[in-house]
Amino acid sequence: MSKKKKQWLDRNTFHHGEFWDILKLVEEKEKKGLSISLCIPTLNEEKTIGKEVLILRSELMERYPLIDEFAVIDSGSSDKTLEVAASYGADVYLASDILPEVGDKRGKGENLWKAIHQLNGDVICYVDADISNIHPRFVYGLVAPLIHREEIHYVKAFYDRPLNYSSGLRSTGGGRVTEILIRPLFSLFYPELTNVIQPLSGEYAARREVLEIIPFPIGYGVETSHLLDLYEKFGLDAFAQTDLDRRVHRNQTTNALGKMSFGILQTFFNRLHAQGKIDQMPNMETFYRRFEVEDGVYNQLVQEVVEEERPPMIEIEEYLNRVVSP
Amino acid sequence: MTIETSTKEVSLESLLKKIPKQRERLREFRETYLTDAVLLGEIPSPTFGEQDRIRLAVDRFRENGLEDPEIDEFGNASGILPGTEGGSSILVMAHADTVFSPETRHVLNVGADHITGPGIADNAIGLAAVVGLPKLLDQLGVRLKDDLLLLTNVRSLGRGNLEGARSFLETKQRPIRAGICVEGATQGRLSYSGIGALRGEITLQIPSSYDWNRFGASGAISHLTRFINQILEIPMPKEPMTRMTFGGLRCGSSFNTSPRRGSLRFEITSEGDEILNDMEKQVNELCEQFSLETGTQLELEVVAKRQNCGIPFTHPLVKTTRAIMNELGITPNVDPSTGDLNSLIRAGHPGVTLGLTTAENLRDENETIHLEPLYAGMAQLVSLLQAIDMGLCES
Repeated sequence: MSKKKKQWLDRNTFHHGEFWDILKLVEEKEKKGLSISLCIPTLNEEKTIGKEVLILRSELMERYPLIDEFAVIDSGSSDKTLEVAASYGADVYLASDILPEVGDKRGKGENLWKAIHQLNGDVICYVDADISNIHPRFVYGLVAPLIHREEIHYVKAFYDRPLNYSSGLRSTGGGRVTEILIRPLFSLFYPELTNVIQPLSGEYAARREVLEIIPFPIGYGVETSHLLDLYEKFGLDAFAQTDLDRRVHRNQTTNALGKMSFGILQTFFNRLHAQGKIDQMPNMETFYRRFEVEDGVYNQLVQEVVEEERPPMIEIEEYLNRVVSP
Repeated sequence: MTIETSTKEVSLESLLKKIPKQRERLREFRETYLTDAVLLGEIPSPTFGEQDRIRLAVDRFRENGLEDPEIDEFGNASGILPGTEGGSSILVMAHADTVFSPETRHVLNVGADHITGPGIADNAIGLAAVVGLPKLLDQLGVRLKDDLLLLTNVRSLGRGNLEGARSFLETKQRPIRAGICVEGATQGRLSYSGIGALRGEITLQIPSSYDWNRFGASGAISHLTRFINQILEIPMPKEPMTRMTFGGLRCGSSFNTSPRRGSLRFEITSEGDEILNDMEKQVNELCEQFSLETGTQLELEVVAKRQNCGIPFTHPLVKTTRAIMNELGITPNVDPSTGDLNSLIRAGHPGVTLGLTTAENLRDENETIHLEPLYAGMAQLVSLLQAIDMGLCES
């Protein structure tokens, strides 16, 4: 490992336990005049959303006022996600009601992008809705490096400690898509970004000024595009990562991960081309094809996966008006 | 009617009038106790392994304003919220242990009107109510004259045999006016006596020398079945009222192999202490007889034994509790306790056990509490605390 990489890992990799004193964090946040918004993007998450809102709001807004604003932004759930979230005091929004002038697209990235317009925080922290072992550390662990260090703009979560234990080196515990798609791709084209232990984790916090200048894929590629775009603009030093210990969530089927990888690859190749890392780009297909066998007969299943992107929020007129005259 | 009695009645009347408003305010502040119920409830806390949950409880005591909360040598967490006068204390306690092993997935689901997960009713929500009391009283603007002594005790259930509460009460020499044991379920529960109980585990072992050709030879399952039938033939007196419950039977793990070992867990509860002694003797004799007759080895281990105790139904503490329940529309369900109330009363303190809310699937992994009744349950606890503090629960 190069000395530079080692230095980055040492300086910019944290453990949530370093920030256990939330009161101190609140004081520091207030001293620096920062405001923090928390956004949970949802689609049919009635089983886990209640607990997330209850615990994060109660601990980080009422007991310790670390979070100034707490919003659930929903893609049109057909279950009771919004009802449950509202009953525990979250501000709930339908993504389609935010910036109606630009239309409505379905996808997690859409909700994250619209959060920049809807919420007021200098820092926005995004937490997925499907965490069954939710704990305040999922938020304070991510916003703390932004409060303490001005040069850090974007903090990613990771969940297992890749440290040397008595039993030997433990793997990073990244997901399947991370290990067999993202890590090989980063190793090939963006070796420095391999320092990010879980590039696809759905929990991260960032400063508004960096979120508003990058485009947002509305689907599977949003986490990957954030890393690639911000790396190009600011380099690795703008990033940090925090170990949040264990995260319990739904396990996805291999088929679902295949579809996800297809979307991520679209985002990735588009960035490679845009950043001049490859010259020629053929027109990429948007149909994801896989096989299913039934009674000895092979059937090809075809699904369209289009990784549409929203432009940087700073280019949206309504946002500019809002920023100028809040 | 004496002047003093009349004054007490007026005070109680005034307290009862405030209850509906209190209930609504406790609904507003529900995050205070629901959050702790989830955070505490997701930490495994089997009897004898409660330390992680207790550590969070003591942190919460500190955050909620208790003076020097501590974990004692037995593993209990306790702390004091000083009263304005502080001559004596009111004890509010909840057990921190659960029947679930650490391997159980301790994940709670929070719905709009319920919380589901292992141990939420017994006793994460009860524990959260105790831990959150200092903050709740502050939010409600209630200042007590008495010191409020809060205890989250370990080793209550099963083999714990109330050891945590008993040890705490033996060593904590404070003047206690009265105590309240808080259980998550079931709302309406009103225990003011501790019933005598004998809990035992009978282990059956087939020795290696066992003659499988002898008449009646069989595996542990058949033997235990026969043994249970023999226990059931022991006459149970109706007076004093006595009951036997078989709570667990473990034996075998396959389809076609006779197991050589098995165990049976049971509890006998009785209003007569002498009956329990007699039953213990009879079960022991039955074990010996069965062992000799079948060539097996049966042993009775008495896991817990406790004597009858209680305060009268007419005690002002019970009477006031009933009046508060009545005001909240809660129907009292008088049920003698086999839990920590026993330790409290035997230590010489008047006390009651209350249940906070309604629940389903008790002691299953999908144990569920309902939130709507919980606000009345919390109001019941706070109002009783105020009543004790006002001296309305003393003879």
